[in-house]
Amino acid sequence: MTNKQIVKLEVNGDTHELLVQPTQTLLHVLREQLQLTGTKCGCNNGVCGSCTIIVDGQAVRACLSLAVASSEKEITTIEGLEENGKLQSLQQAFIDKQGLQCGFCTPGMIMSSLALLAKNPSPSIDDIREDLSGNLCRCTGYVKIADAVMSAIEVEQS
Amino acid sequence: MKYIEALSLQEALEILAGDDEARCLAGGATLVAMMNADLIAPSTLISLRRIEELKGISAVDNYIRIGAMNTHSDVANAEQLLSGNAFVIRDAARQIAHPAIRNMGTIGGSICHADPASDFPGSLVAANAELEIIGTDGLRQIPVQDFFVDYLETSLQEGEVLTAILVPTTHSQAHGRHLKFSRTHGDYATVSVSLVLSMQSDVCNYARVAIGSVAPTPLHLDTVDNILTGSKLNDDVLDDAANLLQEACDPIDDVRGSAEYRRKIIPGLLKRAIAEALG
Amino acid sequence: MSTQLDHDVPNTSIGKSIPRREGPEKVSGKAIYSDDMSMNGMLHGALLGSPYPHARIVSIDKSKAEALPGVKAVLVGEDLPFNYIGMFIKDQLALARDKVMYVGDPVAAVAATELSIAKDALRLIEIEYEELEPVLDPEAALLADSPVIHDKRADYPTMFELPKEPNGCCYTELMEGDPNTIWDQCDVIVEDEYTVPAQYHMYMEPVSTLADVDGSGKITIWSSMQSVGRVQMYVAAAMGLPMSQIRVIAPRIGGGFGGKCEFTNQPITAFLAQATGKPVKMTLSREDDMSMMKSRHGGKIYMKTGASKDGTLLARDCRIILDGGAYADESPEVSPIAALFSRGPYRIPNMRVEAWSVYTNRSRASAFRGFGNPQATFASESQIDDIADKLGMDPMTLRQKNALEGDDLFFCGKRIESASIQACLEKVKQASGWEQKRKQTLPAPPGKRRGIGIAAMSHICGLLASGANVTLNEDGTVTVNSGCVDIGQGSDTLLSQIVASSLGLDLSQVNHANADSDSSPYNFQTSASRTTYMSGNAVKKASENVKEQIFKQAEQILECAESDLELRPGGFVGVKGVPEAVIPFAAAAGRSIYQEGGPIMGTHNWIYTPEDKMDPKRMLLKGFAMMPDGVGILTFAAQIAEVEVDEVTGQVEVLEYWAAHDVGQAINLASVEGQIQGGVVQSIGYALFEEMLWDNGRLINPSMMDYKIPGMADVPYKIHPLLIEMPEDSAPFGAKGVGEICCVGPAPAITNAIKHAVGARVTQIPATPERVLDAMQNNSDC
Repeated sequence: MTNKQIVKLEVNGDTHELLVQPTQTLLHVLREQLQLTGTKCGCNNGVCGSCTIIVDGQAVRACLSLAVASSEKEITTIEGLEENGKLQSLQQAFIDKQGLQCGFCTPGMIMSSLALLAKNPSPSIDDIREDLSGNLCRCTGYVKIADAVMSAIEVEQS
Repeated sequence: MKYIEALSLQEALEILAGDDEARCLAGGATLVAMMNADLIAPSTLISLRRIEELKGISAVDNYIRIGAMNTHSDVANAEQLLSGNAFVIRDAARQIAHPAIRNMGTIGGSICHADPASDFPGSLVAANAELEIIGTDGLRQIPVQDFFVDYLETSLQEGEVLTAILVPTTHSQAHGRHLKFSRTHGDYATVSVSLVLSMQSDVCNYARVAIGSVAPTPLHLDTVDNILTGSKLNDDVLDDAANLLQEACDPIDDVRGSAEYRRKIIPGLLKRAIAEALG
Repeated sequence: MSTQLDHDVPNTSIGKSIPRREGPEKVSGKAIYSDDMSMNGMLHGALLGSPYPHARIVSIDKSKAEALPGVKAVLVGEDLPFNYIGMFIKDQLALARDKVMYVGDPVAAVAATELSIAKDALRLIEIEYEELEPVLDPEAALLADSPVIHDKRADYPTMFELPKEPNGCCYTELMEGDPNTIWDQCDVIVEDEYTVPAQYHMYMEPVSTLADVDGSGKITIWSSMQSVGRVQMYVAAAMGLPMSQIRVIAPRIGGGFGGKCEFTNQPITAFLAQATGKPVKMTLSREDDMSMMKSRHGGKIYMKTGASKDGTLLARDCRIILDGGAYADESPEVSPIAALFSRGPYRIPNMRVEAWSVYTNRSRASAFRGFGNPQATFASESQIDDIADKLGMDPMTLRQKNALEGDDLFFCGKRIESASIQACLEKVKQASGWEQKRKQTLPAPPGKRRGIGIAAMSHICGLLASGANVTLNEDGTVTVNSGCVDIGQGSDTLLSQIVASSLGLDLSQVNHANADSDSSPYNFQTSASRTTYMSGNAVKKASENVKEQIFKQAEQILECAESDLELRPGGFVGVKGVPEAVIPFAAAAGRSIYQEGGPIMGTHNWIYTPEDKMDPKRMLLKGFAMMPDGVGILTFAAQIAEVEVDEVTGQVEVLEYWAAHDVGQAINLASVEGQIQGGVVQSIGYALFEEMLWDNGRLINPSMMDYKIPGMADVPYKIHPLLIEMPEDSAPFGAKGVGEICCVGPAPAITNAIKHAVGARVTQIPATPERVLDAMQNNSDC
């Protein structure tokens, strides 16, 4: 029988003290215990990118992170982006450019894009293709996703 | 399962000594994936994330010392690894999977897993790296090719922890290249070529080549290095080198390609890797 | 029915790139998909699949599993009512009884308080099997000495008579003209064999169902699916309950592509809910989804095409063998569709095709975007290029010479509503710089070679039945309920646009009601590229119905004749030429519910029936083909791929892609472009990367690690949708469906481009680096 452990997680600026199984991933705990269901499970082995979140400024896979190993880290999920219901310009760009269809890959795609823009505020189309190569989408063909990221860059620059 | 964050190497070693089903947790990129797939169920997981000696990249004696807990991103962006033997390692790191995986996986974790299709093993062999390992008996240092024993098997003994990768600072003017050929961007390599080359005008005066994904461990032949060294790297020489590699390799059929195909493309990829290293 | 925008309706959004209405919830994490849902007391379900491709179930002992703390139900086939379900052939049970027919065939289901406990319980179920010889090759499966998979097929309720061959699922033979004697007249003949893979849908959201049962025994289901009505029907049929006791509601859906058509795990999840009296959620892992659920039919196409020396196509003979897997599912739709499109968008007067779907002991082949057409077109478009090659003719010119025009009839005498294939060919030719690029060896970096290739294609849009209701709220806004499930293709927004554009409303004044079988009218399914055409028409006419009723009220209020009235933007009716004579819709609504007339509600329902039926004098049909009579109107497209081939590895990169599509009228421009780009990329996967691989019936690559779909860096950024708008009379605002046709062309466009680049014909897809290198080396040998 596994032994549950207490872990303090800082998520979207809020601190939570949670009782978790050590084998549980951050993805599982975010979704099941914190009801932050915006982060999705598409494969559970780090390939599809739907579970991408930002931890200490870097894009990581929530499905490959253990909840118990995630203390003292600044965790941001898709739910943490808007302020008082107001979307960030990148989120708005995904809407305006139709960089989404079924929407399942969208949270992960946005988090990866945000992490990219934080590192590199004006990426080229090749930088975008490289950095988002690990976020799989089956609906859009990626063109409008790239358009959305590029238009968000223009908005930020102006 | 119990989860412990070791505060020192000593603590980690003590726990390992006392529990033979305990595993070390580095970045988790592979370990957690295996747990998710119910492939492993460690009794205790010892996180190495707090151990200072495993972090950082620094110059030590005649080496560049890369702490085992550096992530692939750390290695890919390290300014200390921009030249000489180290460059091929940096080149390999930046091509591993995708950014989110590179931010999580560690060089130590990756090479202890010893997947011959991954990028570090071949590049470390080409870089002539050594590994620093700690056990209850103290530190030992071994050439990296002695570390990779078989598919997913290393010479790390029970109770030991890999602490650092040591890259010799010789051949500071050398060119390096990790050429990775994969089905899709970020996939494991179907075949990879890692090399470090030094030229004296148009003559090669140092060469070290390793081929990945064509055997259970990185394929390195002294005979290949010797054929290239002292030559002008013309086509005949490269063909001879490639033939040796084709004869010695032991690839498998898998979803990324057949054994025959992998063998077939070695010559072309070797030539390409050399051209890219020098170009 | 008007073909143009109704000029008397202001404020339309037709042709604009209106953002998805559900965009804000999707970018903020608020969109709720099945697995995001939770209910009080909810249990977690898991499925146990067969470890063997073909075996008899000898005994099952579930006692240890049932005894595990936290386990609330363990079901096996014998626990469930013996009700076969299936689309054309009812050959499936919610859990296998007596026999298992593929590795992964569900044999047991568990509901437990936690998913980890449910998975542990699966391991405790002891099943003894007697292994039987598996049937793994569809051609061998048809031979008289083959083991029979469905030995009880005589008992299955079916819509048609099953073929006599041991594992024959569906046989279709279509013939026109005189294909036997014509070959002597052909100056050039091309004959070849093509192999196509099983492609997995890889929707990003795995199959997931939440089922709840209330005190009266009514079952409510939320599921990742493509039709509420179909799921409702199957769950009722499996459970032996009336449909009035099943309610199915659509949450947000994370993609389908055909793999979530009809039913997936809804019946078994409903059984678990019924057995436990609690809500049960069952979300499949990706590995389970890949091995237990559905995929595209792989198989072989044998094709022979003949032409005269001036490039007139004269004859084609074709045999298509599709591997249908263990259960029929949509096979009796897929292989006839493959047959129907095996002639391509050309005049080939003498044509014979036979198409098989065959039962084998591998996982289930089913509906997948394109439905047999991508398979047939891979062969057909490869042959057109090879004929051109033999004649020394430009492949574009050959296509233009033979493409359907004017009053030509499609194969089987099917009428063509708008013969736009020539326009598509011309458009894509100009946009891509075809002529210039084909004349030369394209410049390429050292070690690489470049080429450009074309494919022409047709597909249908429209099928079966749709209804719609539009109701006027008291304040003049409207609610539209179409029963249409938005699987990501944008129907919520599209249908809202149609309603708004029919009534002159702003989009914000239109509420699109979620598909819910309790309140939505019947709509067959989100499939067959039918939503815009079928549901679009239904909501448009229902809106016009509402407009009529509004006008009737307005006549009274404004004291004028109906013919004097006009719609004004934002939900107003006024008298033509009299700006101040105007009332809001709310006034009409108020009058209708407080004074006279009754609540204003528009409704429309229809079923697609083609104007002409297949002419038995013109063509011969043997076997079963629900199509071509039942399928919808034809659409056309032409696509060009520019590729670069690596001489060392054989790896192919698509550099740029042009897709000219006749869409009739784009209602939501960005959505149409997105569908085309998405379909092209999905089929670049089909052409270059994707195939399910089996070893003795066991899927060896059931993970995203091993089965690779294209990521952003694997496909070109420059994918150019080129729209031709030849409005279709029978379509809402002239708009036709585009969801599937975009998938049909990429595989042959790419292999034709490879041929141009390196001179070698690749007849098996995916054209992996290894296959391309082999083709290059074999080509240089001869």
